[in-house]
Amino acid sequence: MRKFLQEYGVLVAFVVLLAINVATRGESFLQAENVRNLLSQNAYVGIIAIGMTFVVMTAGIDLSVGSMVAVCGAACVLVLNKQAGGGASDSAAIFAAFFGAVGVGTLAGALNGVTIAYGKVAPFVVTLAGLAAFRSIALVLGEGGEIRSEVLSFQDIGFGGIDVPFLRTAVGQPLTIYWSLFAFLAVALLASFVLNTTRFGRYVIAVGANERAAKYSAINAQTVKVAAYTMLGALVGLAGFLNAARMNSVGTGSAGTFYELDAIAAVVIGGTSLRGGKGRIWGTVVGVVLLTLISNMMTAFRIDTNWQGLVRGGVILVAVLLQRGSKASE
Amino acid sequence: MPRLEVRDVTMQFPAVRALDGVSLSFEPGEVHGVVGENGAGKSTLMRILSGLQRPTSGQVLIDGAVVELHGVRHALSLGIAMIHQELDVIDDLTVAENVFLGSEPRRFGLVDKKAMNERTGELLQRVGAAFPPQTSVASLSIAGKQLVEIAKALSHEARALIMDEPTAVLTERETESLFRLIGELRAQGVTVIYISHRLAEVEQLCDRVTVLRDGRLVGTLDKGAFDLSQLARMMVGRELGDFYPDKRSPGEGRVVLEVKGAFVQGFASGVDLQVRAGEIVGLAGLVGSGRTELAEAIVGARKLSGGQIRVEGAVQSIGSVKKASKLGIAYVSEDRKNLGLVLGMDVIENTTLANLGAYCRPLISKKAERDATEAWKKELDVRAGDLRADILYLSGGNQQKVAVAKWLETRPKVLILDEPTRGVDVGAKREIYALIQRLADEGLACIVISSELPEIVGVCERVIVMREGRIAGELSGKEITEENIMLQAAGVAA
Repeated sequence: MRKFLQEYGVLVAFVVLLAINVATRGESFLQAENVRNLLSQNAYVGIIAIGMTFVVMTAGIDLSVGSMVAVCGAACVLVLNKQAGGGASDSAAIFAAFFGAVGVGTLAGALNGVTIAYGKVAPFVVTLAGLAAFRSIALVLGEGGEIRSEVLSFQDIGFGGIDVPFLRTAVGQPLTIYWSLFAFLAVALLASFVLNTTRFGRYVIAVGANERAAKYSAINAQTVKVAAYTMLGALVGLAGFLNAARMNSVGTGSAGTFYELDAIAAVVIGGTSLRGGKGRIWGTVVGVVLLTLISNMMTAFRIDTNWQGLVRGGVILVAVLLQRGSKASE
Repeated sequence: MPRLEVRDVTMQFPAVRALDGVSLSFEPGEVHGVVGENGAGKSTLMRILSGLQRPTSGQVLIDGAVVELHGVRHALSLGIAMIHQELDVIDDLTVAENVFLGSEPRRFGLVDKKAMNERTGELLQRVGAAFPPQTSVASLSIAGKQLVEIAKALSHEARALIMDEPTAVLTERETESLFRLIGELRAQGVTVIYISHRLAEVEQLCDRVTVLRDGRLVGTLDKGAFDLSQLARMMVGRELGDFYPDKRSPGEGRVVLEVKGAFVQGFASGVDLQVRAGEIVGLAGLVGSGRTELAEAIVGARKLSGGQIRVEGAVQSIGSVKKASKLGIAYVSEDRKNLGLVLGMDVIENTTLANLGAYCRPLISKKAERDATEAWKKELDVRAGDLRADILYLSGGNQQKVAVAKWLETRPKVLILDEPTRGVDVGAKREIYALIQRLADEGLACIVISSELPEIVGVCERVIVMREGRIAGELSGKEITEENIMLQAAGVAA
């Protein structure tokens, strides 16, 4: 039983919460629109959490992702406006903006990774510095406020998607599955593929489980770490791009705030060990949905939002307590 | 009446009997040496005397009264203190804070710093330390830290002081002053139990010497009643039987690895070494003689600050294990659990880890991985039920086989095995010896690093003995005996 909980605790918690929701507000909870929202609401955090899973598996952490979302968003909208202003077509401008966001994210992630791996500074410290610095860069770019997109069709990426046949929203519109949700799922699938069947994935596990032993096994641990942070950076860029598209602007002071906490929480709830070497992508995905489910529930039950943090905190602690043991007892 | 005595003490561990009916006494005002090979039972005996471990059977007596030691603090309160080889001082505290750690003099419930410093000052004077009590321990040399430990022991009015290889980390001058201090303590009636590999020191310093072998007492000799070669013989004398495979006669293979003037900061200097294809070379020496560090430097796991490495004649700069692996040099670490294997990964993942590229097409082929692991399992007779089980659950011998398989996977030209049979049961040991020979027969150049002399003697065709980071000598053919190795390793050979 204990072993089962350690392994599948997050699924059990998810099923229990689901059951409570279905039992108490079956009809409205199971409405297609609510389910869609549940899954898409945290897609940005989800994309980041997937990348974070790799970083945490190397026994690292990245606190700078929230601020990175703001920088990437800022870069994205600035490139967009510049391209559009320079006479490029909307789609070409959006294309360029995408590369702007992902490029900046990749660069920022690589910077984190290189400082950690070659500078031998603790990940916590390096990315804490990033948390402050990247936000500041975003604010400078946005002159302290919002950067608005001048391309209206940019928002189509944020609200666009694929309509589900026969399903309608409460107001009779067709039900759209947003691109961001597709992106989240695609990233998750790809990531679990990378983790399980590529050399990089195997090396991430080895480096996280025992960095010195990995080095003694002819693995370049530094490269592996840089790659993990860089990959996370690129995913943050993607999240920043989608986030900006949804808002059709970027609030340089507010975009991505606390994303780092949500992403790390999802990773931990999903059963990835903060000590590294052990982790799973599906756990992170469930962790992300679980966190959304909790806030969704609290809103539905009209619980004062001031209580939400307390509940989230409790869930994180319980998840970690349940999954402890196997490593601690070694 | 002896100050400290053990009667018929036996220590049984799950796999091994570390001490077998040992009776021994230590008199007041005596410096008593305890010598023996690795695994002879010295450490276990000292752990029992210092309260770290309770014997399976037998008694410990202090001043003629039977006592049961409940731990280090209890032993300390009875006047028995141990100075470990790895010093226990805390760098961030001052000398006085270290000396009185856990027993600080108090005044109105607060630590009385003045009294603490005063009393530490007196103790420091007694041990002949030149630094004041307020010195930060981090700024002291190893010898200074050792004095702090001795002062700490004296602060508990220690009447018996157990020292484990105290000179291993000291310079010659520091050693001299330590000996002077030991002489003074002896004059004050303190019993000093002195464990060392360095037979010359033991001869010079000790009033009596006890030799242990395989957990049994071989004998206790008075000063003047023994010479060094007699000690060495007593330490190693045992029948080898047919435990080791017949010696091969090495062919004249080409030189695969050649090391010239290797310098490893703090561990080795001016080491020359060469290995031919198909040869088994032993690298012997005491623990701390720099064998492991030299090997680590050769494979790029440690910085090689000077010297040259040639692989098949070509000068190479090896900065990482990865590079070494590419050049065909493999190193199986002595520290299997921390460096040799990745605990937490399964048998298959560990087996293919150093050669994962061979299984990427471009994605990892799990089937190819499993097939290869199965093949090694058969070839090396690895006993593992489930290849997907964490390597942690395999026995020491089977773990070792996987660690070796991991490197054989890379098809090396040179295989360096560091303590290949540490923590391995007798049956698996035999298999590992046979394996080493088979590999050499197939043309692999093997270097075997070992603290177990019988192993070196039984397996190697040529032995290089290291002492204090330098090559103390080289033996081959009939010269390879435990005695000769021990004499060179301890630095008493002519």
